[in-house]
This record gives sequence, structure tokens and C-alpha cells, in this order.
Amino acid sequence: MMNRTHIDTNNYLIKQLPMATVFLNKKLEVVYASDLWVKEFEFTNGKVIGKKISDLLQPISKDLKKDLKDCLEGNFGIGVKECLNEKDGPKKWTEWTNVPWYDEKENIIGVIVQTEHINQKINNEPNSERLQLLLKEKSSNANIGSWQFDAELDTLWWCDMTKNLHEVPADFIPDLDTGIEFYKDGYSRNTISMLVYRAMNEGIPYKEKLQIVTAKGNEKWIIATGKPIYKNDKYIGLVGTFQDINEQELINRKTNENELLLRTLIDSLPLNVFVKDLDSRKILVNKSELDFLGLKHESEALGKTDFDFLNKKNALIGREEDIMVMENGIPLLKKETTNIKKDGTKTSFLTSKIPLKGANGKITGLVGISLDISDLKNKEEELRNLINVTSLQNKKLVNFAHIVSHNLRSHTANFSMLLEFLVSEKDEEEKQNLINMLVEASDHLLETLNNLNEVVVINTNVNLKKQNISLTKNIKSVEKNLSEFLKNNNAKVINTIEADVKIKAIPAYLDNILMNLFTNAIMYKSPERDPIIKLSSTRENGYTILSITDNGLGIDLKKYGDKLFGMYKTFHNNADAKGIGLFLTKNQVEAMNGKITTSSVVGKGTTFNIHFNEDN
Amino acid sequence: MERELHLIYILMKTINSIFIIDDDPITVFGIRKMLDRTVEFKTISTYGNGKLALDGIIKVLTNEKAIPEVIFLDINMPIMDGWQFLEEFIVLPIEEKVRINIVTSSIDPADYQKWEHYNDKSHHLITFNTKPIKVSQIAAITKLAD
Repeated sequence: MMNRTHIDTNNYLIKQLPMATVFLNKKLEVVYASDLWVKEFEFTNGKVIGKKISDLLQPISKDLKKDLKDCLEGNFGIGVKECLNEKDGPKKWTEWTNVPWYDEKENIIGVIVQTEHINQKINNEPNSERLQLLLKEKSSNANIGSWQFDAELDTLWWCDMTKNLHEVPADFIPDLDTGIEFYKDGYSRNTISMLVYRAMNEGIPYKEKLQIVTAKGNEKWIIATGKPIYKNDKYIGLVGTFQDINEQELINRKTNENELLLRTLIDSLPLNVFVKDLDSRKILVNKSELDFLGLKHESEALGKTDFDFLNKKNALIGREEDIMVMENGIPLLKKETTNIKKDGTKTSFLTSKIPLKGANGKITGLVGISLDISDLKNKEEELRNLINVTSLQNKKLVNFAHIVSHNLRSHTANFSMLLEFLVSEKDEEEKQNLINMLVEASDHLLETLNNLNEVVVINTNVNLKKQNISLTKNIKSVEKNLSEFLKNNNAKVINTIEADVKIKAIPAYLDNILMNLFTNAIMYKSPERDPIIKLSSTRENGYTILSITDNGLGIDLKKYGDKLFGMYKTFHNNADAKGIGLFLTKNQVEAMNGKITTSSVVGKGTTFNIHFNEDN
Repeated sequence: MERELHLIYILMKTINSIFIIDDDPITVFGIRKMLDRTVEFKTISTYGNGKLALDGIIKVLTNEKAIPEVIFLDINMPIMDGWQFLEEFIVLPIEEKVRINIVTSSIDPADYQKWEHYNDKSHHLITFNTKPIKVSQIAAITKLAD
């Protein structure tokens, strides 16, 4: 009973032990187990007591078996690391500390076992090995060597990599002086000497890109680092690394050279070159492009888009092109564009946009190349204008030749015919009649010649210079000259032209034109109403347009439109009509580089629009 | 000369109606005078422009009177010129083949092309003559179109 109580008390105490503990008897059966131990191995308590440890944890390793047996023989266990493989679960490492279990009489009655979960530790061990390997691997891959200087012993230690980098044999023993002498004479050696001195005496670590000359005489770029180390605040030496960056450095230098070459090239090109990102922001512009944008430094253009420099319409078109090129990956080649900058200056370009692909083949932006063809375009424009003027003049000339020949021929034909009659005519009275007709024909011919001469004068008189004249003032003066005529016809003139409107015109021609159109408006007035003449002016495309609208008979332009301004063309049964007024008007307007257009509704009235050229 | 003309005169049939459409009184006078001397005809009507002539022809058609068999047509006239007249004339319901002599002082090739155009388009006989018309020519172009 007593014994029983003892065991229960023991049991109760052991259950609560703060470590995973198990008591095994000589048969290695479980006598007591702490709750933690049971929990550790995930047993349920009832199933543990009395069971053999080898059954519970099958299999147990030979090492553990031996260690437990040693304990039964009175030896302390040496500690065993046991791996338990849970069903397909992760490996579970436990460390077993075994000690013999004595009773009061110092008899061994079993083994007391403490287990500790050591997964973390076990995993760490191969890790640190791995780390070391990794470090070594890294150091050789990255060409980083290390070194150490012991100040007390005045010795310098180089690792294999460092020796490798200096191309010295493995048994080479460096010292501080030889170490420094490997640095290239001049800048590199001076710098390292100073840095090492400062590290030693002032405790300043360093990292510097320098050049060494190896034992085999090869020049190499390296990054040298160094750092003082202290023990109990006392300086005891230096540690540092030594990195071979020769290849990178050479590549860098080459890249820099290439970049410089490229930069010089694109800046000297007589082309505008730019690179844009996906948002059409400029990420590179050359000098020509900078000049075009009116900027001094590339930084002023970078990150900006066409919207910052060009007018909105141009910028929009450009952006659309960019998107097309970047989305479809198809270059836009030699497109003619006219860019208008915010200040209004126009430049014509022949532009190509080529999609720019990144290393992964994806489009990252575009390269643009523009050739300034403004001079060419201007010349082309000049040429085209010249051709237009020439062909227009040629047309006018041919037209005039026809007019002349037709009008002269019709009179001479009459002469010829009348003379033929006269020669064979015997009747005196008829003879006199024929002579009268000849005189009449002669008068007509003379009048025709005068009219034609007037046209020639208009078209050849280069001495008459255009002047800046007030439209309203001239209209007033014509109105005054015609005042009697207007009054007799009950005509009303409504002028809505602003007083300050000025035009470039030859005063005499303007008077003629106004006089003629005013007269026409009255002459072809509607019998049903009093004539009203309305005057107004607008500006459009470099022209000041004078509109003269009447409420007269109107004219069927479908029928007569092409003849309206022809010579000797009349359209109404009007005895006074000679068919010369509008013909001269048109010639005078055109002689001032203007034009004249008409619109008319039969029975309602006619509008003449005279376009006065503002430029020339 | 006189004999020759007389011979042609004999050979020619009497023409019922001749139209002269021209705004130049001297030309009208000349053509009339030449016709008087060389052609036998019943009536000559003269019109100062195409519109007047067209109105005249329409009046003749509605009154079922004799339509003109020969027309002398000027090109450059006010209101309605020779071409506009032709445009309207060739669509009139006239079955008889009318001789239309264009008489013009124009040497513009465009006018010549227009003549060809109307000549092809119409069943009437259209001739192109440049002024001045000579007495010797007049009889030949005043024959009835067959």
C-alpha cells in the first residue's frame, strides 16, 4: 500500500516534469513518463506505461539501443540523436540524454531518459555547412577574395581567391608592403597607401575601385575594401575583400565608349532623333531635335511629350501614330508631317517611327527619325505657286487671244462682206447704204479695240501699286458720284461694313469695280420693287471679302454662270448692256490677285463677292 | 460669174422658209442680201438671239405652219446663244431634216468640237462656217437638206 502510494506520488511528480522525461525499467519498459514526453511523441498516456520503448518507437537506432544498455551497466549515456520518422511526415530529430536509474540502495533499476526536440539544431548544421560552401562558391564566382592583416604580428593573410587574383602561387606569403606594391604605380598605389594608412590610424573603412598589376604583369580593375578590427577597443588589424571587376569594368568602359560614339553620332546627324516610351514621353533626344524644340539641354525635354511643345492637333496626330506603331509593331516610314509649335512656327518633316523592343521582345517604346524638309517644301510650294500663276496666265492669254481674234474677225468679216457687195453694186442709193454700214462697222471696230486695249492695260500695268485703303471711304465716294442715278431709281444703299475695315487695292480699280456693280444692281433691278443694295464684309483665308447684294432680277447661273464675266456677253434684253462691265471688273479684281464669285436667285437678286488679297 | 449663179438658181428648188438668227445687223443684212440674189425662197425671218428664234419656231409648230428648212445661226448672242439654241432645237418634234448653217467668227477649237457634238447628236444637217460668208458660197449652203 505504502509502495503503491509512493509510486503514485512519483507518477504524479514525474507527470509534471518540465522536460520530456521517461523512466524505463531494466527491460526497457516505460515505468513513468512525463506528460511532455508523451506529448512529444504523440502517445496517449494509457498506452505508454508498461510498453517496451523499442515497441513504442519502432524502430530505434542501434546507437540508442547501445546507449540505453550502457546505462543499465552503470555508464552515463553519451547522448544520442535519434530520428523518428512519422508516417510520411517530416523528420523529427530528438536528442536523448540517458542516465542510469538507481534505487535507494544504489542498484540500477532502469534508465532515466530526457529527450529534447532538436529539429532546428539538426537542420542548422547542414545549413551552416551549406553556407560555407555557398560562400566559397560565391567568392569564386564573384571573384571576391578576402584578406586579413594582423597588426600585432605584422602579418598579412590572403585567401586562395585573393592569391588567385594576384596571380601568385598558393604558397606565396604577402606582407603589407608587397600587397601595396601590387597596385598600379601612380593613382592606384597612392590612393591605396593613403586609404590603408587612414584605416589603421583613423579607423576609416574604405571601398575603392583601383587597378593592380598582377605577378604575371596583367593589369586588372579591382574593388578593394578594408576595415579596421578591434579587440577590447584596441586596434588589432584590418580585414577586407578584394573583388575582381576587370571584366565588368572593361565592359563598362567599352559601353561608355560606345555610348559616347553613339551620342556623338546622333548629335551630329542632320536628322532629328528621339526615343519615346510607351506613354510617348521623350527618353532621348538628339541635338537637332533639341534645336527644333528650342531647348538647350536634353534634361529640359526628357519626360515631356509632344503636347508640351506642339499645338494640340499636331500632338494628337503624333500620339495616334505612336500608338499605332507601338501596338502593331509595324514601323511608320517616311511620313510627311508639318509640325506647328506652340509659338506657331511650322516645320515640315519626313518622319519614320520604329518600334523599340526590350530584351524580352516586348515593345517598350519607339525610335523616331525626322528629316527637316521645310526648305524643300517651301521650294515645292513656290514652284507650285509659280506653275499655278503661269498656267493661269497662260489660260488668260489664250482666252484673251480668242476674244481678240473673235471680235476683230467679226468686224473684219463684215468689212469684207460689205466691200464685196460694194464692188458689184450698181445702184447708187444702195452703194451709199453700204458705205454707211462700213462706217458703222468701223466705229464698232474702234470701240472694240478700245475695250480690248483697256483689258491689256489692266493686265500689264505693273506701275499701279496697291494701297491700304478704307473700304467704307471708297464706297461713300462712289455712292456720292452715283447719287443722282441712285436717287432717280429710288435706290437704297445699306452698308454694314465697319468703318475701320481696310483693304489692299488699286484705288482706281476699286472705284471702277464698285461703280460697275452699283450700276449693274440698278440696271437689272426688278420692275416690281425699288432697288436695295446691301454691302457687307468678312475675312477668310487671307482675303477680305466685300459682298454686294441686290434685290434685282437675278440671273440663272446654271445657264449663264460660265459666261457671266465673258466679254460682250449680255443676258437681259437691255439696250444699254454692252457685255463689257463685268468682264473688266473680273480683270481688275484678278489684276489685284483677288477673285470674284457670284450667287444669284432668279427674281430675288444677285450677290457678288469680291475677294481682296491681304498678302500680295 | 452671173451665168454660173443663174445656173444654180435654176437648179434650186424654192425654199419655203429661212431663219437668220444673229444679233449683228450687218451680218443679217449681208446674208439677206446674198440670199436675195442667189436663192429662191418664200419667206425669211430674222431673230436677234436664240430665245427669240426658238419662240418663233415653237409658234410655227403650234400653228402648223411651215417650219424653216434652212437656218443661219450665229454663236455669240445675248440671252440664248447658238449652242443653247441648238440644245433646245434638236429635241423639238421636227421630223424633217433641217439644214442649220452655223455662221461664226470664232476660231476657238472648243466651238468646233461643240459643232461636231451636235452634228452627231441630231438628225438635222448642221454645217460650220466661218465669217465672212462669200456670195459664191451662199447658194451651196442654202440647198435643202435631203
